[in-house]
Amino acid sequence: MLRRRAKPWLYCAPALMLILIIIVFPIAYTGYISLTNMNLYHWQDYEVIGLGNYARALFKFDSGFLSALGTTLLWTVLNMAIQLAAGFLIALGLNAPGLRLSRLYKTLLMVPWAMPAYISILLWRVGMFNTELGLLNKWISALGFEKVDFLAGNGIAFVSCMVLNLWMALPFMISTIDGALQSVDRSLYESARLDGAGFWTQTWKITIPSIRPVIAPSAVMTTFITFKQFDIIYLLTQQRGYMTGATLNTVITYVHQNAFASNNYGLSSAVSMLLFVIIIAFSFATNRSLRED
Amino acid sequence: MKKIIAVLLSVLLLASLLAACGTSDEPAGGSSAPESAAPASEEPAAAPTELTVWHDGDETLMQAIADTVNPMLADSGVSVTFEKRTGLSDQLKLYGGDAANGPDMYLWAHDSLGTFVAMDILEPLGNLVDESVWADYLPLTVDAGQIGGTQYLLPVYFETLLFLYNRDMWQGEVPATTEELYEYMVANTDTAAGTYAVVNQHSTSYNVSPFIYGFGGYILDAEGNPGLNDPKTIEAVEYNKKFADLEADGDYNTVTTLFNEGKAAAIIGGPWLVPGIRAAGIDLGVASLSDMTLPNGSPLAPFSGVQGIGVMKAAAETNGGAIALALEALASPEVGIALAKAGGCAPANSLSYEDADVAADEIIAAIERTAETAKPMPNAAEMNVMWGPVDSMLAAVNKSGQDAASAAEEAQAAALQAIADMQ
Repeated sequence: MLRRRAKPWLYCAPALMLILIIIVFPIAYTGYISLTNMNLYHWQDYEVIGLGNYARALFKFDSGFLSALGTTLLWTVLNMAIQLAAGFLIALGLNAPGLRLSRLYKTLLMVPWAMPAYISILLWRVGMFNTELGLLNKWISALGFEKVDFLAGNGIAFVSCMVLNLWMALPFMISTIDGALQSVDRSLYESARLDGAGFWTQTWKITIPSIRPVIAPSAVMTTFITFKQFDIIYLLTQQRGYMTGATLNTVITYVHQNAFASNNYGLSSAVSMLLFVIIIAFSFATNRSLRED
Repeated sequence: MKKIIAVLLSVLLLASLLAACGTSDEPAGGSSAPESAAPASEEPAAAPTELTVWHDGDETLMQAIADTVNPMLADSGVSVTFEKRTGLSDQLKLYGGDAANGPDMYLWAHDSLGTFVAMDILEPLGNLVDESVWADYLPLTVDAGQIGGTQYLLPVYFETLLFLYNRDMWQGEVPATTEELYEYMVANTDTAAGTYAVVNQHSTSYNVSPFIYGFGGYILDAEGNPGLNDPKTIEAVEYNKKFADLEADGDYNTVTTLFNEGKAAAIIGGPWLVPGIRAAGIDLGVASLSDMTLPNGSPLAPFSGVQGIGVMKAAAETNGGAIALALEALASPEVGIALAKAGGCAPANSLSYEDADVAADEIIAAIERTAETAKPMPNAAEMNVMWGPVDSMLAAVNKSGQDAASAAEEAQAAALQAIADMQ
C-alpha cells in the first residue's frame, strides 16, 4: 500500500523539485528578503526587521501607481482586443481555400517571434521610430511633412509601443488560431453551406464557437504577458541615456522606477511581494470569468 | 521492466538536479594559489600567484596593461589576469565579498566607488601600499578614487568630453565662446534636411555636465545632497535647451551616426568615439571644452570619469602581499604609456606624459587640458540613484517642452525619495 502511494510521488519528484527550485524558492526567498534590512549599507550583515518594509512599500502604491495601473489595464485590453481580432482575421486568410504559398506566408509571419525581444525593440527604436534614421520619418520627410518624434509624448508613445507589441505578439496568436482552425470539422461548413449559410454566418456560428476552447488558454497567457509588459516600454522610452521625454508607465515600469533603482533589496522585495499578490488576484479573477464562460 | 526503467530514470534526473545545486571547492575567478595575509613589505610567496582583475571595458586595453605589468612581476611569481564581466556592477554586488568566487581586484569607473565602499567590500589602498605610490598622479584622478579621505581606487586612466569636429566640414576656427558656437549652429543647421553643425547627447547627465558645472550648479554635492533645483543648475538646463533644439534627438546612436556619416560637422563626445570616427574615414579635429567660455565668463566644466583599480577586501585578507606588488607595478608610468599607445587613453600618472609619443597625441593633450576645468563625477553612493532623475529632468525639458524650474523640482523630489529609499 505504502509503495503504491509513494510511487506516483517518486515519478513526479524530478518535476516537483524543478518547480520548487525555479518557481517556489525564488518567491519564498524574496519573501524572506522583504522581511530584512538588506540594502547597500547592510549588504552582508543584514537581519530580519519584521514588516517595516511593507509599511514603506504601501506608500509606493500611490496616485502614480494608480495612474500606471489604469494605463496597464488600457494597454492590456487594447492589445488583447487587437491581437485576437487581427490574429483571427490573418489566420482566416491563411486558411482560405486555394491560397497559394500559404506555408511561405506562415513562415514569414513567424519572423517577429523568432527574433530576440531586445533586438526587435532596439531595431524598431532606431530603424523605425528614430527622427533622423527611422524609416517612418524618411517616408514622412519624403512626403514633405515635418518629422514626428514617435516616442516623445505619452499618447504617441503609447501607440508606438502598442504597434511594436502587436508586431511581436501576433505570430503567437496567429499560429494558435491557425492551429485551432485546422481542427474544425470541414463537414460542418459543407452542411452549413447546403443550408444556405454565408461566410459571416459560418464564422459566427461554427468557426468562433469551435475554436474558442482552444484559443482561450493562449488568450489568458497572452493577457498576463501583456499585463506585466516591461521591456518594450522601458527600452523604447525609459532606458538610461535614451529617455524620450514620455512619462508612460505600466505597473511594472513604475515599480521598477520607484523601488528597484535604490539597491534597497528589502524594500524592493516587499514591493515585489505586494505586486505578486495583485497579479495573483488578477489571475483568479480572469480564471473565474473564463470558467463562467 | 518499464516501471523499473521509469523509477531509475526518475532517480537519475533527481540526482542530476541535486548535483547541479552543489558547490565547487575550486575557486571560480579568484586566485589560483591563496596565500596567508602578508604586509607589503614582506617577501612575496615563492608559489606562483595569479591575481584576477574583473573589468567591463575594452579587452585590448586590458591586454596592454597585463603585457606591461606581468614582465615587471615575473621575478615575484605574481601575475595579473583580466577577465571581462558584462554588468560588472551587478557582478560585484553578487561576488564582491566572496573570497572563493569573486575577483582579487576590479577595474572600473570611479562613480560607483561609493556604492562598493558602502557595501564594505573594498580594502583601503593605504593598508597595502604606501601613499607615495600615487604621489605623481594628476590630483583630479587621485581625488576621484577617495571616499571620506581614504584612497580606495588606484587611478589608471581618465576620460572627459571633448569637442570633436570634422575638419572637412567645419568652417573657420572652433569658437571661443558658447554664444559664438550657438550662432554658428543656427547658421549651419537644417533640421528638416537632417544636417547639423553640432550634435550632442543633450538629454544625458554626463553630456550636460559641462553646462551645469560651468554655470556653478551641481548634481550631487560632497555630502551626497542633490542640487537639481539649485538656481544655477536650472539656469544651465535652460541654457542647454536652446542648443538641444539644434542637436537632433540626442540619442547616442543618432548623434554618433550623424557625425560618422558626415551629416554633423561636430560632436561633443568622449575619446571612446575616436576609433569609430577614424574607421569612418573622417579627418578628425579636436578641441578642449575648457577653451570655450559660457556667458558668465566661466569655461565649460565637463565631468571626468576615472578608470581605476579597486582591491576586494576578501582578497586583501588572503593575498595582501601579492596585491601590493601588483599595485606598485600598475602604478608605474609604463602602464599609462602602454594605454595611451594602445587606445589613446589619457594616463592618470603625470610621469607618463614625459613620453614623446604620449605628449604628441592631440586627443590626449586635449583631455589633459580639459582636466584643468573638469569635475570628477561624484563618487558618493547616492550617485547611483541620481542618473535617472537627472536624465528624466533633461528629457522633460528638451523633448517634452516642460518648464525647467518645474521639471527640476520634480527631479529633486524624485532624487531625494530615491536617496531615502536606499536606507
